[in-house]
Order: sequence, then structure tokens, then C-alpha cells
Amino acid sequence: MPVQVDPENNETRALFEMAEFAGRQVLEIGCGDGRLTWRYAAKAAQVTAIDPYAAGITKARLNLPTELRGRVEFYHRAFDDFAEASEPSAYDLMILSWSLC
Amino acid sequence: MVHALEEIRRLLRPGGSLIDIHPVQEAPLTEVYQRGRVLFAEPRVAYDYDEDIHQAEQALTQCVRRRLFDREHSREFDFLTYGSSVPELRDFLEQANAFHESSIDDAEATREAVFYDRVEGIMKAAGKGAKVAIHERVRIARLKPTG
Repeated sequence: MPVQVDPENNETRALFEMAEFAGRQVLEIGCGDGRLTWRYAAKAAQVTAIDPYAAGITKARLNLPTELRGRVEFYHRAFDDFAEASEPSAYDLMILSWSLC
Repeated sequence: MVHALEEIRRLLRPGGSLIDIHPVQEAPLTEVYQRGRVLFAEPRVAYDYDEDIHQAEQALTQCVRRRLFDREHSREFDFLTYGSSVPELRDFLEQANAFHESSIDDAEATREAVFYDRVEGIMKAAGKGAKVAIHERVRIARLKPTG
């Protein structure tokens, strides 16, 4: 049995209770290997997912499902650098994915 | 952290939302399950995120006090990561925690090794189908930029 992360989907359920994704431009900060991204991305209009660690982003890009191509983009970037290069008011929804601490 | 939250506010459209997900400030449990029954549950040793979590909570509180964000809703949930063996789960956690810059000293490493030996013993005694898990309590919050 491979390692199973939150097979009960408690995190996904809590996320869907808290946030509306339909038609939203989403920025996920600290996406890692896309573990959480896959769970909501199909509902969003567009997802930008960033992480400062290259290994996670490489894995996320490799595992990007075909149906999400064009809808999800992964960037190997720290939030400060990403924010500096971003226009204001660009996102409807931002997710700090276990990344504030 | 407060600066990051200020930047988040700048990037959010009016009426947008910030969702923050992070573990609560208590050590995760290492648990052993057999057919859905908990055979063992103790705090994981060498847990050292307390200070980071404390700082994250403080940053959020400060941003709410400064009226950058309103905290609209928050709740907690259980987050479990299961492995079929202690080495498998430890490998996975080591990779996941490789992103954290902290390290443990020799004494802590020894305590951790003894702890996981004990967990492995319990798993062996439980027999086929036993699973080991890390059980974290996690808080999710929705914040809205003010004004």
C-alpha cells in the first residue's frame, strides 16, 4: 500500500465548505507537489500554483492531468518574488496551503 | 509573515477570499490501526513546528487587529497520513519535511528511533493489515480583505 494522504478527504471537504471555486481565478501558495491542487482545480476557472521548492513543482508538472492542462500553471517561485511581479487585484481566491508556518 | 499577508491583500480582488490551512499548535499523534481500531496513539516525537505555528497565528491575529482582513469562518479537521510500515511512513515524512530547515540533535534522534521501534513492535504484534498513521489536527480559516 503506498502512503495515503487524507484518504478520508477531510481537507477537501473543509476546503469546499469554505470556498467557492466556480469561475474563480485562484492562486495557491505552497502547492508542493500539487496534492491539494488536483482536488479543486477542475472547479476553478484558472489556477496558478507556486512553491519555492523545485522538487515539488517538478513532480506537480509531471503529474498534471491532461484535462487540467491550460487551466493549471505551476511556478517554482517564492511568494515574495511572485507578488512583486504581480498586478494588484489579480485573484478572486488565494489559498495558503500549509505555507504560512 | 505579516508582509506576506499584506501582499496577499494587494493581490486579492475586492470581495475575494483568503483560505489559510495550517496545523494547530499541538503535536501530531502517531497511531497504529488494525481493522479501523486504534491500537496505539501517542504524540509523535521530535515535533518542532510549534514556534512556526505560533508565529503564523500571531501574524493572522495581527492582520485582523489592523483591519487588513476579517476572519469570517474557521474550523478544525483531522488530517491523517497512513503507511503500511513505519519505514515507509518515515521516508514519506522525511521527504515532506525536507522543506523545513530544522534538524534534530542526537538525543532527539535516539528518542525518535526508540519510539518508532516501539511502534514497529506494536504493528508486528497486530499482524497483517495493521497501518501506521500520523494524525494531525488542522485549522482552516476564510478571511476577507476589509474595506
